[in-house]
Amino acid sequence: MSALNNPEVGKFVNEHFVASFQKVATFKIVNGAKQGGNVAAYFCAPDGRVLHCVAGPVDAQAFLHELKWTVDTAKTCIKDSKGDGAKFKELFRTAHSEKLRQEFGIAVSPVTYDSPQAMGENDSLTYRDPTGRPLAPKLPPPPIDGPDVRLTEAKFQELQKNAAGAPGNRTAMDAKGRRVVVTNQSLVHQVMAAHSLVPIERVYGTVFENILGEKISTKPVDVVKPFTWLDKQGNRIK
Amino acid sequence: MKRLLLALTVAAVAACPAVAQETCEFGTKIHFVDTPKEAATLAKKQEKLVFVLHVSGHFEDPGLT
Repeated sequence: MSALNNPEVGKFVNEHFVASFQKVATFKIVNGAKQGGNVAAYFCAPDGRVLHCVAGPVDAQAFLHELKWTVDTAKTCIKDSKGDGAKFKELFRTAHSEKLRQEFGIAVSPVTYDSPQAMGENDSLTYRDPTGRPLAPKLPPPPIDGPDVRLTEAKFQELQKNAAGAPGNRTAMDAKGRRVVVTNQSLVHQVMAAHSLVPIERVYGTVFENILGEKISTKPVDVVKPFTWLDKQGNRIK
Repeated sequence: MKRLLLALTVAAVAACPAVAQETCEFGTKIHFVDTPKEAATLAKKQEKLVFVLHVSGHFEDPGLT
């Protein structure tokens, strides 16, 4: 834990990013009572389109790994796309599907185009607040094709075993009905393989509801301080 | 006049960076600006990416910071 308090993470973030924060109201009903709360870190282009995200708290090493991948991949995609925005998006989504393949052994086909997405009052693919007011669209992840065919069964099982110990692990079905273990971070890559380079206001609902399992009840709002357990100066509130 | 200028300079140097840095880090090693909008403007100028932290609900994890 303590990812945000890790000197190496801090140095890397301050060197490559300008950081800010927002509050999102979410809730989970457990035994009839509202519970929950979570955290998500989005790594975005300067225009607010999400390149990558870390869903839920992770340790410093995992956080740094995702940060470095984002910066390196952005540099590579900028170079290879030669100023073509559509090509950049295609390359970035493909990079997410490739990372999912390499780190989790799960194959998905990247979606390299954006279909027109209306968001009206009656659109069923919409996350809503308790009064029914639309908040954000539901961004469907591309289906899991199956295990990466380049892997041996033993290697795939090893990756699945690792996934079973990672935050947010659960099972999902692939295209052939086989059960595969997915995690918060593998789901992020699955979603990003189809929806990276989408504005943060459109992505946060899917991250909280589909990946972290918490219902959103507001849009993201600007607040004075991000953490309830710290005062403005960063001192712990007892 | 010289004294006044000197006093103002000392006051500015003493108050600004130390307070700004401490209040913007919130107990982390990350320097936060106030809003994603401000972050986006700065990122464009400094040719950096934007990091946005979303904290939700009743999230309380002192281990995070």
